[in-house]
This record gives sequence, structure tokens and C-alpha cells, in this order.
Amino acid sequence: MMEQLKRYFRPEQLRELSLVFLIVLIFLFFGSQIQGYFSPRIFNRVTSDVAIIAVVAIGETLVLLTRNYDLSVGSIVGITAFTVGKQLTNYPDMIPIVALLLAIGLGVAMGLLNGLVIAYGRVPSLVATLGTMAIYRSALVAYPGNKIVVTNDLPEWVLELGRMQLFTIGEFNIRPVVAGGLVMFIIFQLVIAYLPYGRRLYAIGSNPEAARIGGLPSSQIVLVAYIICGAMAGLAGFMFMVRYGDLTVTGALGMEMQVIAAAVVGGVSTNGGSGTMIGALLGALMINLLQQSLLRWLVISDFWVNALLGLLILIAVTIDAVIINRLRDIWTQRGLEIKSVEEKKVVKERESHVA
Amino acid sequence: MPSIEDKAPVLQIRHISKRFDTTQALDDVSLDLFPGEIHALMGENGAGKSTLIKIMTGVYHPDEGEMLLDGEPIHVGNSVEAQAYGIAAIYQEPMVYPDLNVAENIFITHRTHGLLVNWRKMYKDAESILAKLDVKLDVRMPARGLTLAAQQTIEIAKAISLNVRVLIMDEPTASLSAHEVEQLFELTRSLRDQGVSVLFISHRMEEVFEIADRVTIFRDGRWISTLPRKEFTRERAIHDMVGRKIEEFFAKSAGERGELLMSVRGLNKENVFADINFDVYRGEVLGFAGLVGSRRTDVGLALFGVEPADSGEIILGKRAEKIRSPEEALGKGIAYMTEDRRQIGLTMTMSLTSNISLPMLRQYLSRFGLVQTQREEATAEQYRERLSIRTPSIQQPVGMLSGGNQQKVMLSKWLNTRPKILILDEPTRGIDVGAKAEVHHIINDLTAQGLGIILISSDMPEIMAMSDRIMVMREGRQMGIFTREEATQEIILTAAMGQNESVEEAA
Repeated sequence: MMEQLKRYFRPEQLRELSLVFLIVLIFLFFGSQIQGYFSPRIFNRVTSDVAIIAVVAIGETLVLLTRNYDLSVGSIVGITAFTVGKQLTNYPDMIPIVALLLAIGLGVAMGLLNGLVIAYGRVPSLVATLGTMAIYRSALVAYPGNKIVVTNDLPEWVLELGRMQLFTIGEFNIRPVVAGGLVMFIIFQLVIAYLPYGRRLYAIGSNPEAARIGGLPSSQIVLVAYIICGAMAGLAGFMFMVRYGDLTVTGALGMEMQVIAAAVVGGVSTNGGSGTMIGALLGALMINLLQQSLLRWLVISDFWVNALLGLLILIAVTIDAVIINRLRDIWTQRGLEIKSVEEKKVVKERESHVA
Repeated sequence: MPSIEDKAPVLQIRHISKRFDTTQALDDVSLDLFPGEIHALMGENGAGKSTLIKIMTGVYHPDEGEMLLDGEPIHVGNSVEAQAYGIAAIYQEPMVYPDLNVAENIFITHRTHGLLVNWRKMYKDAESILAKLDVKLDVRMPARGLTLAAQQTIEIAKAISLNVRVLIMDEPTASLSAHEVEQLFELTRSLRDQGVSVLFISHRMEEVFEIADRVTIFRDGRWISTLPRKEFTRERAIHDMVGRKIEEFFAKSAGERGELLMSVRGLNKENVFADINFDVYRGEVLGFAGLVGSRRTDVGLALFGVEPADSGEIILGKRAEKIRSPEEALGKGIAYMTEDRRQIGLTMTMSLTSNISLPMLRQYLSRFGLVQTQREEATAEQYRERLSIRTPSIQQPVGMLSGGNQQKVMLSKWLNTRPKILILDEPTRGIDVGAKAEVHHIINDLTAQGLGIILISSDMPEIMAMSDRIMVMREGRQMGIFTREEATQEIILTAAMGQNESVEEAA
């Protein structure tokens, strides 16, 4: 029974379950504390924000799996949101799909640069993307004209897209931004589970040296991870523009930290090789839910919200490190048991020969 | 009788040379590998074996010379291309992906496994490959925590799944137990019978005699001889490997037993080991013998406080002491040199100097808390001389040194903590004959200076020759302590394998 359980159930899944449990707990707690908490308004706010963070976190997770970081995602979201918004202000006749492709294309270009520097230039990812984070953001400042995009200048379809209700469940409606996030999540959950590429991401992060010697095209795989990460950040930039409309050059500033926090709380290891998309999504949901709820909970001031969030992240990661590693030990001991059983079998066989 | 050489060689290595800065790693080396042979390659460290492997697998590119596959010249640009040509290598420390499961590890490099991963098919294929190898392994188990032998099996299965034609095995037996070695040999022979050409690199003479069809010896980057096993003798091998140097294989421990340094009474750790009792005296070597899985290393780690014991007494001098961390152990004069120098023993990217001073860094601080590099360097220089560490400079990153010299750096690091008791865990694993003899001489000198040494070793002749007394363990139990006079290979092995084996011996 226990053996069967161990065979199909991994310690990592326990973490995901406990995150779901925590999210429900947070939801119920603040529901009892804040009036009108279960309103469609809060639901919309949280889901839209989570969708944007989650899309970026999906790309970031791919990169984290390879034992690398991408700190430039916040800047990529900001620059694409602003640039696409500006272009739409200047050329209101642009077809929506072109605007979307422009956003993704910008993201791909920036991801490609990151990837080339890291995978082929052999620059440590933390340093490389720290650099591009600043460079991409500064490129915005160099943008000619006034550094602001106003909702009212954007074409009607953008505003419509932000308000539109794709379908409703009871009083709650699903907006296109949320639907987009969900679709991306499903696609990439499938990618890491069923594409050879997905498995190789895990392999590289799990043992980079073995990947290098063992004949995996590491550089190529890492490059693609960065390109996808850039593309996702570009897509998130588009969603960001649709969601907020009013944009300045500081849009999505610091988002990379939220994204990495979401992934880490969701169990994506910064040592590479382990983590899931569902984990990253749950992490994003939990952090955002907490953030939104704390802002509405008048018991503590805004000032402490971030500190409290930081503390929760630390607690989550520490508990995780202790409990998950302990569980892993229990799980892996099974391999050793099998070995000794095999040895015993050999001894028994020999005995029977003697007899 | 048809000889192997009647067939066409699968891989020919022609006049290959490779130079690194000032060292000629390979000098005009030629070698033919035939299908269906196990070809042993021997030589001291630095003989050029590793360089040849790296050239064959595309990690390095030769300065001169070429390789022919089925008579056609090939260019192996990287390990991916090597695999495409059917050339694969497995190493002493297996290169598996700990977070992936067994089946994923086997098929990770496959290109032709369809667009999507078909999990069910993958598990089935993995199971059938393992069944063909006659190995029982749960293909859904993550590789993390599997034994080294199991991890190696994964690598062999991977090579087979890639239709390997030339399989390089780089010291595959170095960390296996006797039983596991036998299994590996069976596997290797069955590969040979299927027409695979195996290049088998080992330092263990007995193994080469047991398994090789032909033996090639390298020395100082040059090809020296290739002989069929029948014409090959121990004397010839040693002669060819060391040239004119006359090496003493085993130095005998000459230390005289002094006062009692440490008594261990009833040491327990749940599910690991139980009721361990022994004494360590000044100037003696206490050997820990046993098969892999006998938990000898765990006892060592408990004494050093890395994984402290649950109960039992460690008496140092007259007082029972608690050792809860390596820091405490060092403070009480106990040092432990790990068997795993690559992962935890040394910091490969750091210099010799920094590695040696690392555990004692506090002693190298100036009044203002800064590291005094001159004193660090003086210490490093002193050990370089004392243990004759061969390195261009004490600033050399240790990763660039040969295995034997890395081992000496690790020894220096722990000697510099001025221990009374030094635990050596497999101190000569994976180093060449010459370096091994040097390490044995060093152990001799240390006991003469009054150190008590615990020697954990899987090398039976080594532990027999070096130890004053031998404690034998089996699956976490102490099976007995034998003096040098009592100990014979049979007695030790019988104890290490348990009572059942002695019944078999009797029958």
C-alpha cells in the first residue's frame, strides 16, 4: 500500500496540495475579516493580476528549471506594454493581432539576447539578466515624446478587451486576460510533461555537468528557454496594457521579484531540476491573493504588507526545505531497501545451491 | 583459432597527439578497437587515458591524427556527435539526472522518440532493456538515492538504447562492491558477445586479468604495448606502466602502538549501524573492512559529527565526549578525509592554497580579521614539499591536478588541522599505482609521528597490508576485529559477507 503510494505520489505533490489548502485558508480567513470579500470585484482583480503574473511565471519556471534566472522579465513586461500602448496611440487602426504579435515579438527579441549571452556567451544568468533588466528598462526612457500612455487614447477594442466577459459562472465572469493565462498554463503544463524538450529542461538543471558530457544540446535548450520566457513576458506585457491602460515607463517595475517569489513558493527549485507549472500557478495565486487581501484588511498598514509578504515567502521556503527534503529521504530510502533485498536474494540462492 | 584481429576494426585511432600548454598529454597514439572485444587500457594517472577518452567522445579535439570508424575518417565535434557515431562513455561517478526517474534517464538523449513523450511506451521500453540486462530496477524510481551500481546500470542501459558500438568504461568498478563488480562484468561480457567493442579502463590488475581480451598500456602520453591477455603478465604490466621506475606496491605500517587515543562503546544510529565498539591507539592503523553498504563510512561520519550517532560513547583520553558537528570533532583532534573528493572533498575551482587553509582559516587571520595570504601560502608550500604534490604552482586550481595529487591536497587540508585521529575514507580510490604507493608511505610517516589512523578501504590487499588491526563490518553490524596476524583474505571476506558464506565455504 505504502509502496504503491510512494510509486505514484511524489513529495512535490504534497506541497501543491498544501498550497491549495493554504489558499483556501487565506480565502476563508479574509472572508471573515473583510466585508464583501467574496464579491465579483475582488475576484476579477485577483484573477486578472494572477493571470499576468502567472504567464510571466510560466516562462520564468522554464528558465529556473535549467538552473538559471531571468531577472529581466519585469522590464520586458514594462517595455512591451508601453511600446505597444504607444504604437496603438499613434496608429489606432492597427489590427489587434498585429499588436499582440508585436508584443510577443519584442519579448522574443529580448529573450533571444538574454539567451545568447547566457547559453553561448557563458555569462552567469544572474549577472547577465541583471544587466539586461537595466538596459531594457532604460530603453524606455530613451523613447521619444512624452513618457505616458493614457487609457483614453487607446483604441476602443483595447478597452473592450479589458472589460469583456468571455463567460460567466454565477456572478463571476472570466475575462479574456484570465482565459489567456489559463490557456498558456495548460499548454506549458503539457509541454513539460509530454515534450522531450520539457524533460531535457529538468535534466539540465538536475545535473548540468552530466548534460554537457552526456550529449544533450544544453546551450540550445537554455537558449530556447530564454526565448520562450521572453515571449511569455511579451504576452504578459500585452495583457498588462489591456488590464491597466494608463502606462508609464515604470510599469511592472519589480515584477521579476513577484514572479520568482511565486515560482519559489510554488516549489520550483532555484537549484534547477524540480518544480511544476501547477506549482508556479498556485504560488502566483497565493502571493497575489495575500497581497490584495492585506491591502484591503485595515488591521495592518500598507507599509507592512510587503514585509509580511516577504516573511511569508521565507517561512514557506524554509518549511519546504525542511519537510520536502525529509520526505525525499524517506522516498529514496526505498531504493536502498530494494538493493539489500536483492542482495539477500543472492545469498538465499547461494544457500539453496549449497543445500 | 580465429583471433579478434581477423575482423575489421570498428574504430581506429591514428597517430593522435594532443598538447595542453606545456604538457604533451598524448603523443602519436594509435589503437585499433575490434567489434566483440573487451580492450583494457592501463597506465598511471597522467598516462593520457582520460585525454584519449575525451578525444573519442568529442570533448577535446586532437591537434594531430584522426579517427576512422569502419575505415572512414570521422570528425567528432562534441558528445552529441560521438553518440551519433555509436561512441559512448560511462564514468566512475555515473552521470545521471537525480530529479528524473530511471526511464527518463535512459531515454533523455533520444531524438527519435516521437513528438510527444509516450510515457507508457517509455516505461515499457525501459523495462525491457533492463530485463535484457537482467537487472531489477523500478523504472519509475527517481535516480536520486539509487546506489552507484544502479546508476551505472542506468548509464549502460542508456548506451544500449542508443545502439552503442564502442563503449568506454572509465574505472567503472572503482566504487562498487565485489558482488556488484561481478554483475557489471557479466553485463560487460554480454555486451561484448553482442558485438560491442568495450574499452575498459581500470587500475585493478585482477579485474583486467579477469575480463580483458587484449590489454594496452600507455605511459606519459605514449602508447607502450598492446598484448593479448594470454601473453600478458603482472610483471610485464608493471614494467610497462612505470617504465624503469621500481615501485613498491605496499608500504608496511611500521608504527608502534602507543597510548589509547579513543574508545568507542556501543555506538548506535537507528537504521544505519548498531553496537559498534573499538579502540584507536597512537601510531596504529585501524582498518575498516566491509563490502559496499556495510556502513563503514557512516561510522566515520558519526565520529566526525557530520551525521552524529543516536547513542553510545566516544571516549577521548579519559572523558566521554559528545561530537555533534565537524567543528567539535576538529576541536577534539578528529579529522575525516572523504571518499568523494569531487563533490564534497575539495573546491575544484579554488587554488591549492585556499583548499588547504579552508578548515583552519581562523588561524590565518590578522589582528584585523583579514586573511594573511602569505602565511596560507607558506603552509601550502610546506605541504607541497612534504607530500610531494606535483603542481606547477600552489595557486593552481585543484581541479586541474591529477587524481593522486588532488588526494594529496585533501590530505594536506586535514593534516593541517593537526588531528590526533585521522579517518581516511578510500584514500587511494581511483588513483594510479605510483600515487597509491605514495599515499601508503604518507600513512606510514603519519603513524610514525604518533597519529592514530582509521583506514576505510574496499581494496582488500591495501587494507590487509596497511592495517595493524582490522574491524570488519556488514550491513551496519560489527563482525569482529582481527589483528594483522589473524587476518587472512578468507577470514575478512567471510566476516564481511556474513555467516551464510562460511557455510558455503565449508560445503
